[in-house]
Amino acid sequence: MAEPEYTVASDSETTGEEKSSSAFPEIAIGIDIGTSQCSVAVWNGSQVELLKNTRNQKVMRSYVTFKDDAPSGGVSNQHTHELEMLSGASIFNMKRLIGRVDTDPVVHASKSLPFLVQTLDIGVRPFIAALVNNVWRSTTPEEVLAIFLVELRAMAEIALKRPIRNVVLTIPVSFSRFQVTRIERACAMAGLHVLRLMPEPTAVALLYAQQQQQTIHENMGSGCEKIALIFNMGAGYSDVAVSATAGGVSQIKALAGSAIGGEDMLQNMMRHLLPDSEIIFSNHGINEIKSMGLLRVATQDAIHRLSFETSVQIDVDLGNGSKICKVVNQEEFQEVNREVFEKCESLIIQCLRDAKIEPDDVTDIIAVGGCSFIPKIKNLIMTICKRQELYKGINPMEAAVCGAALEGAVASGINDPFGSLDLLTIQVTPLAIGIQADGNNFVPIIPRNTTMPARKELAFTTVHDNQTEALIVVYEGEGKKVDENHLLGYFKLVGIPPAPKGVPDINVCMDIDASDVLRVLAGVVVPGSQQAAIPVMEVRMPTIDDGHGWCAEALHRTFGSKLNLVTVQKKI
Amino acid sequence: MHFLPSSIHSIHAKPKPFLSSPIPCKRHLTGHVQAVSVSCRATTTTFYEVLSLSPDKASIDEVKKAYRTMALRYHPDVCPPLMKEESTRMFVQLNAAYRTLSDPVLRKEYDCEILMEGFGRSTFGRTSRMGGVDHDRGTRSRWEQQIVELKRRSNCRMAEKEGSWGSRIRAHNMRNKEY
Repeated sequence: MAEPEYTVASDSETTGEEKSSSAFPEIAIGIDIGTSQCSVAVWNGSQVELLKNTRNQKVMRSYVTFKDDAPSGGVSNQHTHELEMLSGASIFNMKRLIGRVDTDPVVHASKSLPFLVQTLDIGVRPFIAALVNNVWRSTTPEEVLAIFLVELRAMAEIALKRPIRNVVLTIPVSFSRFQVTRIERACAMAGLHVLRLMPEPTAVALLYAQQQQQTIHENMGSGCEKIALIFNMGAGYSDVAVSATAGGVSQIKALAGSAIGGEDMLQNMMRHLLPDSEIIFSNHGINEIKSMGLLRVATQDAIHRLSFETSVQIDVDLGNGSKICKVVNQEEFQEVNREVFEKCESLIIQCLRDAKIEPDDVTDIIAVGGCSFIPKIKNLIMTICKRQELYKGINPMEAAVCGAALEGAVASGINDPFGSLDLLTIQVTPLAIGIQADGNNFVPIIPRNTTMPARKELAFTTVHDNQTEALIVVYEGEGKKVDENHLLGYFKLVGIPPAPKGVPDINVCMDIDASDVLRVLAGVVVPGSQQAAIPVMEVRMPTIDDGHGWCAEALHRTFGSKLNLVTVQKKI
Repeated sequence: MHFLPSSIHSIHAKPKPFLSSPIPCKRHLTGHVQAVSVSCRATTTTFYEVLSLSPDKASIDEVKKAYRTMALRYHPDVCPPLMKEESTRMFVQLNAAYRTLSDPVLRKEYDCEILMEGFGRSTFGRTSRMGGVDHDRGTRSRWEQQIVELKRRSNCRMAEKEGSWGSRIRAHNMRNKEY
């Protein structure tokens, strides 16, 4: 048996030397790194099995504590009390912070966490630091995630007694392609190769597809199509998917997601209990961090209890002379978090509409994630879908990781004699991808919810006479204006033959291949000649690196509208 | 949406010709249960043929079923790595077929397009694909009137709705005429 090796995986696959030691292909493990919790699962030859750490836990907290010597994460480390995690020395909520710039509202909302999140609001990555021996030691979300992944990898290697390289990871629907590259980098730093990334609810959809397939096998029933609505809400993100399932094929009809989750409810409640908490805690002094930790633990506990009780008593001594004694009931909790619940509702409604599915056509409603225990969340889903109950066959805390493990087995080419792995997920794009045109408008080329792999093109033309250059600025998102979306990259198209404005045909084509790689192609045709005027440019996206937030602004300042494009109007 | 894209959903082997070649190129995929002829645009193979369906009878459930069966055969995830490029192309075409035929309105429009081309009105110079369909002069002119009316209505509708298969092809035809 080979020794575990901690090497950064290269993209180039060398032919089967390592694999020759085993008669079976390496099965990729599934990892669900949640904002607050995480778990690992693997196909064990007959079913999906969750791996346990040395303390026999299947679900571990996602955090890394920085100390004098080596940092340690939530897989190996055992905090005697939750409060230690909130001492300022631990970084958590990495998934909320990764790949975001300091102008992002999600980053701003993280400023009241016990560790330091500083923003300068100039579009660079935020300053993140842990308190070690009274010194703020800087780090990055990628580094924290990589440290955590190394622990997860070691845990899996001990449990499975083999080296681990390939992983299937679940990600939130609302993650931009830039955030995805940060996740991939963290994995590479931990010596892991990302075989596939799955939006969380699509992993749940795959698990559901497998369950339905097995039910059919047992009952010999007809394989009629089942529509599932999947709602996933964890600490950091909410996701919705509508899938059509039959014969082991899980066809994703639509996705919707937002960076809204349990963390928002927790912060709303903390503000509700101590209205000026943000001001009190903003200086991050030792005593303030301690008070903040106490309030956080008490509030979290209250929210958990409110899932089963109609009202709860909160009693907490913040240690700085102030005490909070308050009874909070369901209605109050719902009122404080009204916006969160409204957002959830709108996501579900939007997803159903995008999928062109009426609530009556939904066969099963599946609610997963930590927040799916909140009564209001269950009620609002059932109300929208006009249903009395939720699907019961899935464990809300393990669904995503089990789906990821299934995908890991399928994508590793594992065959199951009983047909349990004859599965396929047909994915769609979670966000629209397009370019800047018609001023500062975002013009989608591949719309949201397009089946992948996909290839689409759109014709543009110049805005000025004799315009010989054009700037292709690629964005991803749902906003009508480019500044509401994520910048993925840009390149300049040069050598457009001089012609009056509106004459050159500039074709921009976007291609997402089977490996989910996005390529943008741009070329010029002058009407009259069928030949391309200049060689076509092909650019793999994203091209931008860290601290990209100011790029768009700098481009605009430097070039103005000189290199702009407009969409070609329909000629009828 | 204030603009209307004049895009064509093209499926090409290589990135290069997507700008330059309006001439459909044929490509054959073999090695499957049935050899399926795949063109760059769905110009010689109808969407019905892509899904192995009969144009007259296929119900919505049959369309869905055919799509799933074909997806299990051609999705890049289930094909060996060497086949990835070919299967991607197949699957993209499969999706175009599914998208049109699973939508009653788009399917109706598409059926009209096929009929028109069957009568030799196509700018693509396609030959009849509706083997066995034979109409006399009177029927044809009545059909043509209906099609003109349908086109007018669908154009109005298209003004509010971005690119369907029909609008893309129409826009493409208009461009070709200008050359």
